[in-house]
Amino acid sequence: MEHTFTNFLSALRGAEIRVSVAETLDAMKTAALMGWSDRQGLHDALAMALAKTPDEKAGFTRIFDEFFAFESFHDRREARILDESRQSEDGDLLAMLRADDRAGLVLAMQEAAIEVGVENIRFFTQRGLYTQRVLQQMGVEGVDSQIQAMGGQGGSAGQALRESRAWLFEQVRNYVEHQLSLQGAATSRELREDRLRRSRLGNLDRRDREQMRRIVEKICRRLVTLHSRRRKMKNRGQLDIRRTMRRNYGHDGVLFELEWKKRKLDRPRVMAICDVSGSVASVARFLLQFLYELHELLRDIRSFAFSGHLIEVSEYFKENIADMAAEKVMQKVGYMPTDYGESFTNFYENFLADIDRNTTIIILGDARSNNTNPKAGYLKQMHERCKRLIWLNPEPPPLWGTGDSEMRRYRPYCDLLHECNTLNHLERVVNDLLETAQKAA
Amino acid sequence: MRVSLCLPRAAKAHHSTNYAPFATVTYTRATHAAVLHDLAWLYRPKAAGNIRCSLFPGQGMTPERLEKLESIERVREGYAELGYICSRQIATAIYVAGHLGKPILVEGPAGVGKTELANTTAAYLELPLIRLQCYEGLDEAKALYEWRYAKQLLYTQILRDKLGEVLGEAQGLKESMDRLHAHADVFFSERFLAPRPLLKALREPSGAVLLIDEVDKSDHEFEAFLLEILSEFQVSIPELGTIKAMRRPVVFLTSNNTREMSDALKRRCLHLYVPFPDAPLEREIIQARIPEIPRNLKYQLVSFVQQVRGLDLKKQPSVSESIDWARVLLLLHANELDPDMVRQTLNVFLKFEEDIQSVDVELYGFARQAKKADVAHA
Ligand SMILES: Nc1ncnc2c1ncn2[C@@H]1O[C@H](COP(=O)(O)OP(=O)(O)O)[C@@H](O)[C@H]1O
Ligand SMILES: [Mg+2]
Repeated sequence: MEHTFTNFLSALRGAEIRVSVAETLDAMKTAALMGWSDRQGLHDALAMALAKTPDEKAGFTRIFDEFFAFESFHDRREARILDESRQSEDGDLLAMLRADDRAGLVLAMQEAAIEVGVENIRFFTQRGLYTQRVLQQMGVEGVDSQIQAMGGQGGSAGQALRESRAWLFEQVRNYVEHQLSLQGAATSRELREDRLRRSRLGNLDRRDREQMRRIVEKICRRLVTLHSRRRKMKNRGQLDIRRTMRRNYGHDGVLFELEWKKRKLDRPRVMAICDVSGSVASVARFLLQFLYELHELLRDIRSFAFSGHLIEVSEYFKENIADMAAEKVMQKVGYMPTDYGESFTNFYENFLADIDRNTTIIILGDARSNNTNPKAGYLKQMHERCKRLIWLNPEPPPLWGTGDSEMRRYRPYCDLLHECNTLNHLERVVNDLLETAQKAA
Repeated sequence: MRVSLCLPRAAKAHHSTNYAPFATVTYTRATHAAVLHDLAWLYRPKAAGNIRCSLFPGQGMTPERLEKLESIERVREGYAELGYICSRQIATAIYVAGHLGKPILVEGPAGVGKTELANTTAAYLELPLIRLQCYEGLDEAKALYEWRYAKQLLYTQILRDKLGEVLGEAQGLKESMDRLHAHADVFFSERFLAPRPLLKALREPSGAVLLIDEVDKSDHEFEAFLLEILSEFQVSIPELGTIKAMRRPVVFLTSNNTREMSDALKRRCLHLYVPFPDAPLEREIIQARIPEIPRNLKYQLVSFVQQVRGLDLKKQPSVSESIDWARVLLLLHANELDPDMVRQTLNVFLKFEEDIQSVDVELYGFARQAKKADVAHA
């Protein structure tokens, strides 16, 4: 059952229903609580634990119906497990076919399918192969030789056996195709996600937006977990004896719940500064998207945007729709010729005092400043006041410092400087952050 | 992992009989303690409805309360006795949430009984209801706790002499400050703490039903703040330390869907969507709220309202409006829906002039259909 359930969850993911680890756990508890006999009840309860928008609920119902189509299956299987009876033998199959015990056959089929790993099917062309494997696993060869031996004879019983055999073939093929549609969907989604993660941000098209948003959100979420105010670091392996004893007082001294030593991280603040000028136009929207997600997730974050000059744009991210927020920011300060020096001056004059030892500054931009005075001194002072300054540059490193790029001059004041023009880059940055933070803790 | 070694006795007793089918679940990432927890849960006797004790100690439900939640059917009946009619989904949500100790996020149009569900739950479980009404700009100070500055000030005034003693011969500003500082915790003690709903709910000794109403009206910041409370059921107050729930409250969050709640929040909750009820359920609700309503009127009125919901209106009439309308018609001594009477009372369940006009056009057709529905069910 665990197996079926895991497959069910993976099929849900294939249908774009996101299921977190915590939700998986909830779902398992829910299923254990509801039992398997009340199908509708199980459906309702799992839908509450796993599908949380109207779209997801619809998708959930579809997958659930497909997955738990054989209603009689579960009870029988459980009964068998309890009887500790062995799996069907060759002889069984013949008997079941003769008796036309369809529920029994379906059950045997599912067991065989698990045995041969049908959930690994990925391509249309593998249908025949898997169908054969399942049938073989069920011991169909013995049956076939029996049928052959009868050679069209055997009267009505023989006829019934042949029909039963044909019916079984249908079932197995349907089942295999079904698995293909479920697992194939999951795979193509993974492939698509992989492609998205590797393509240049500037090249992503509209259709990819939604999925990109999810990936960005996923990445941001990890960042936020790191930063969440009361995140507790577990010192792995270090048992907190005192608290464990206290906690388990009620269990007659049986140490049922263990308490681990914990440490607290302090509460960070983020100030994000985003270049939205013409030279980064193709990625600016993405960078803004990133900021938008951060705003959704972090409480203590302020955002600033600039091209010719810099303004605070935190307010705009209160907007309900990311695109609208981005639009507003672009209207205010977008598309102008860049002046990093002027923009850092604006920041220095208006916001320097707001930086403290807990502040992480994130700068998103290509450092191309149209040959204006870069005023790196201001960046230096910002760096000195803050906890960490991170610069994400959409250009690849060989271009840094070429032409009007001031990246070399700014570089000494960056604790972390990364190329960032794909989602994979972004994820790597986040990983780095997580690592340094963990070391620091 | 040898599960049997670690199971508490209650679970072990049933170990050899029948248990839920996920015997071999392994979690690589969960902590040891969490795994034990969950295995204990999975290994408990399978038959739902036979749970006499919770294997989640500290999860907040006393055995008596759990017993009240022993089956979905029992929840339905219990709530109906209190005048609240649960759909199958609603009863399931209460049942599952109660046993898993999870908050429920209830979404749906206004007036379908989201708030009332929390009220009824409090009444059913005999727990105090603590309600936090959300609005834009709601912050920690209003939701969690505040220091009573005025009281603190007052005390410093009253205790001026004492403060003098404390300061004694202190030399200079810095030394005075240091001495004062040593006594600061007097002023940041429970005595000066004004608990707001969230803190109240955590400190309620026998547990509580916590209703975070219309959470969609709060802003993202507040939502993020809620996440912490909902996952750990504890808060830390810098001056006092961590306050953990005495008993985990039963939590309802309601949303009228004016904005989408974050995934992070949804992940921590069971998600219950409450749509407008179908006709049989709506009749039951009206019957529960207005037992004296004539049968014919009930059938016709519900049929009429259901038809109205099929129109494209600015604001659909909800259950609360059906109830109001039924009350008004009852006052007018109606036994049946009479088209003229309907016309005069449209404004009871429609809030916009345009909507009234849209319905007015269809009025006779709807009323005729409503009569048929009545006859068909008679
Ligand atoms: N299922 C129900 N059972 C009984 N009464 C209901 C039900 N649904 C709605 N009501 C009635 O409708 C009124 C409005 O419900 P309320 O909880 O305020 O709606 P919401 O919070 O969803 O806007 C309640 O006072 C209650 O009398
Ligand atoms: Mg309400």
